[in-house]
Amino acid sequence: MRILLVEDDPDIGEAVAARFRRIGHGVTWERDGAMADDVLRREPFDLVILDVGLPGRNGLDILKKLRQRQSLTPVLVLTARSKVDDRVDGLDIGADDYMVKPFDFRELEARARALLRRNAGNATNLLRHGAIVIDRTSRTVAIGGQAVQLTRREVSLLEIMVARPGRVFSKDYLLDQLVGSDESPTENAIEQLVARLRRKLTNSGCEIKTMRGIGYQIIDI
Amino acid sequence: MKVPGNPERLSTGPRLLAGARVTVAAIALLLSVQQTWSQYTLFPAPASEKARILIEAATDLVALEPMVRDFQLVAPDVTIEYVEYVTNDLFAKASAQCARNELGADLFLSSSVDQLVKLANDGCGSRYRSAATDLVPATAKWRDEVFGFTAEPAALVYNRDVVPKEDVPHTRTELLDLLRRKSSLYAGHIGSYDIAQSGIGFLLASADSRHSSLYGRLIESFGRIGLVTRCCTADIINDIESGRVAIGYNLLASYALGAQRRGARIGVILLRDYTVVLSRGAMIPRTARDPSTARRFLEYLLSMRGQHLAREVGLIFNPAEMRELESTQKSPSGAEILRPIVIGPGLLAEQDQAKRARFLAEWYRSIAPTP
Amino acid sequence: MTIFRTSLYARVTIMLGALLIAGALSIGVAAWQYAIVAADEAYDRLLSGAAFQIAESIRIEEGKLIVDPPVSVFDTLALSRGDRIFYKVTNAEGTLLTGYETLRLPEKTPPPGAEPVLGNAVFSREPVRWVSVGRYISEPNLEGWASVVVAQTRQARDLLAFDLTLKAIGILALMSLLALAMVMITVRAALAPLHAIGEAIDRRAYNDLTPLSLEVPREIAPLAAGLNHFMQRLSDRLTILKRFIADAAHQIRTPLAALSSQVDLLAHERDPEKQKQSVGRLQDVVDRLGRLVNQLLDHAMVIHRSESVVGAPVDLVALTRHALRDAIPMAADDSDLNVMFESQQQAITVIGDSVSLREAIVNLINNAVTHGGGRMLLVRVLQDATATRVEVIDDGNGIPPEKWTDMLQPFQSGKKSVDQDKDRRGSGLGLAIVQDVARAHHGEVQFESRTGLGFVATLVLPGEPSPSDASLR
Repeated sequence: MRILLVEDDPDIGEAVAARFRRIGHGVTWERDGAMADDVLRREPFDLVILDVGLPGRNGLDILKKLRQRQSLTPVLVLTARSKVDDRVDGLDIGADDYMVKPFDFRELEARARALLRRNAGNATNLLRHGAIVIDRTSRTVAIGGQAVQLTRREVSLLEIMVARPGRVFSKDYLLDQLVGSDESPTENAIEQLVARLRRKLTNSGCEIKTMRGIGYQIIDI
Repeated sequence: MKVPGNPERLSTGPRLLAGARVTVAAIALLLSVQQTWSQYTLFPAPASEKARILIEAATDLVALEPMVRDFQLVAPDVTIEYVEYVTNDLFAKASAQCARNELGADLFLSSSVDQLVKLANDGCGSRYRSAATDLVPATAKWRDEVFGFTAEPAALVYNRDVVPKEDVPHTRTELLDLLRRKSSLYAGHIGSYDIAQSGIGFLLASADSRHSSLYGRLIESFGRIGLVTRCCTADIINDIESGRVAIGYNLLASYALGAQRRGARIGVILLRDYTVVLSRGAMIPRTARDPSTARRFLEYLLSMRGQHLAREVGLIFNPAEMRELESTQKSPSGAEILRPIVIGPGLLAEQDQAKRARFLAEWYRSIAPTP
Repeated sequence: MTIFRTSLYARVTIMLGALLIAGALSIGVAAWQYAIVAADEAYDRLLSGAAFQIAESIRIEEGKLIVDPPVSVFDTLALSRGDRIFYKVTNAEGTLLTGYETLRLPEKTPPPGAEPVLGNAVFSREPVRWVSVGRYISEPNLEGWASVVVAQTRQARDLLAFDLTLKAIGILALMSLLALAMVMITVRAALAPLHAIGEAIDRRAYNDLTPLSLEVPREIAPLAAGLNHFMQRLSDRLTILKRFIADAAHQIRTPLAALSSQVDLLAHERDPEKQKQSVGRLQDVVDRLGRLVNQLLDHAMVIHRSESVVGAPVDLVALTRHALRDAIPMAADDSDLNVMFESQQQAITVIGDSVSLREAIVNLINNAVTHGGGRMLLVRVLQDATATRVEVIDDGNGIPPEKWTDMLQPFQSGKKSVDQDKDRRGSGLGLAIVQDVARAHHGEVQFESRTGLGFVATLVLPGEPSPSDASLR
């Protein structure tokens, strides 16, 4: 995946760029807002990590311009906690997620992965499939109008599978998507996760089907 | 209409000079005006005539001629037509002209200043104000329409040869006393105006009656003793001069002084209790044909030059001559001797027909005049 | 006029000046009217007196009615120097005895009687004032009312009226000017206290917020009181700020010290295994320090907002969903934590500040995540007739009731705020922030242990939002 990182602080920028490169994404790191705006116009990206409060151009301006160009590239805003002035709410202007500095790098990676996954066309807050409603904002799930207890990972898995119903997801793919770069998962971590989710999907009108040797698929029953 | 008597004049000399020239005009005037005596004199402008005014006067020309001539020195482009009337006739004429609202005489001069005041009261006058008029004292002008321009006291005149010194009265009380004591001596030899005929006479008599309660007794006394009455000052002065009248009462001093200067053996007394002072009046009528030139003449009359000349010819009497007049400034009681006749609406009393009638009647009753 | 708006002095002076002028003008008009009346009265007496004198002089002589107006009548009337005099005396049949035949009175004049009648007319082209008086003749053949009319032009009386009016207006003008001058002086003096206040404040040291001790007049007292109140509030805020800074500084030093200790440890550690451990612990300390700093800032922010932000309608359901996203990390170690969200309604509205409400809910959730059992987290938003509630329920041990009050105080949770002991709740400021927000919204924080459910921490907001709740405090 191609990630544009717009960050002027060298320490933060270095750490973020290194992390995402480590897990195999291509990272373009721009320190100056004007340059970043320029690059954005010329090249396509799968994700923009944007620091608000840049020199040269207010980060939110870049975001505004991006959206004015009808671009649906997911944007994750990094913001300092200055909510005294609540106009700095990037979500109103078109950011898809935000994190407040100082932030947890693992959390940053997880959220970035969620955004990369979502991508163009699937940017709605509520994901529906039959009786299943996934609220992306709160990351909670309701089945048939009733809230169900799911862990974060279970929600993410369900989200991945419901986003492409009928598609078969390999174990490796799921591993890649659901597990952080600095985690060491157990052998059957994915199987256990799928099993737990499967149990919670009763009365949903769907089930997860195992295709041996290929992967998992969600189907309607 | 009154029967015209002899006109008011002092001497005939100067008039004859102009008489030939104006006879035709005078006859024409006589013929045109019914039963009214008048005398016309023309004073042509010394230079080329640019303006002409008609002065109708009830004041004899002889007294005024020097002033007319002097005015023409100041304004040589003005021709003056001077017509004399008897006072009552002038008044009638002026009233008629005013009532008919037709343009006519440019200036009225009259010794009967009460008549001028009546005319002004009837709305027949026109206003004139200037620096010179402002200097005229308030008692000598009314509404800036009627102006007094002379100051002539009424005096007691006597024949020096006939009246001994000790008999000469200095107050009215003394006069009354004299007439009582020496009534036989002075009977028929006291003279005064016929106030029925003489406008000045009436005015002076009525002024006299106002100032003193002795008036009644005086005219009674005159009646008892037999008063010689004449229409005009000049006549009485002549009578005094000739000795026919020993003492003349309440006569216009300017004439007497003039005669005195000519050598008449007469004495002029300003009675010490009070002396009435008459101011002849001038008025520009509303119906004047040439009011602006009339104003020039009036201005002259009131100017320094005009007043100075008036003083010289005796029209304004000089208190410095008092010594000659054998009187002193203040009366025994301390009040001022001179009582100027105030030119104002007070004079309307003189003009009230009822009052006039009564006054005349009273006078007639007392005097029963001797022709 | 702009000068009207920009200068109190000008405003008062102009208004009072206009008032004085208006008053002076109307009094002037009144004075003029009165002067005319007064002059008329004075001269009318003269006129009537003259008429009476003439009437007195009507006599019968030899069977005929005669009149002999005394000279004094004319002398009296002559006192009005420039005025023309007209009069007419007639007997009972109207025959003229003396005077002006043509003098006629207006139509409606009552017939002559003993009482004088006065009026105005025009005669001989001038306006005149006339008086009519009668004298009753009782002699046979002559019986009836003889009439005396005396009229005079109006010059003298008009002059008198004018003179009186002029003098009156002169005095009036003088008095008005004096009054205006007095007003200007007085207003200047009256406004002096305002200058005094301005100067007193100018002379102060920049950080002197003590109340003004000036003596001010009663009318300015509200202004001075307002200033003092304002300064008091500023002073209070400054005090809070100073206290906060002191507290924060105090609280930060400990984890900073811990940080430097761990770094020192790491610097001297040779064993790669131990190094790795050290780094882990370092990371923890840094995380906790970060959280502390965040909370300090949140707390300050919440306090500031409660003072300054005006409440607006907020959808608590949407707000809570956002809070859930913020508060529960995706990369949680406790991957077994089941998260549920319940709401009876699509949207629930309250009046409040969205930013600080979100902070409060985030802090409640954080608290539950940190100190709960680790398996279950339920967040509910409810509204009924009396209150709106956001309930955060976890499966932990909860807080013992006797500690509930303490927990809501800042930094009261224990000796160390970066306590890793999860049984001891309180992350220093978290619950204090919730408490502050609750107070600012006229609500409260409630704790409850419900059997079968777990430990419930609730943010309670007051019932129906009333439209008049324009401010939070």
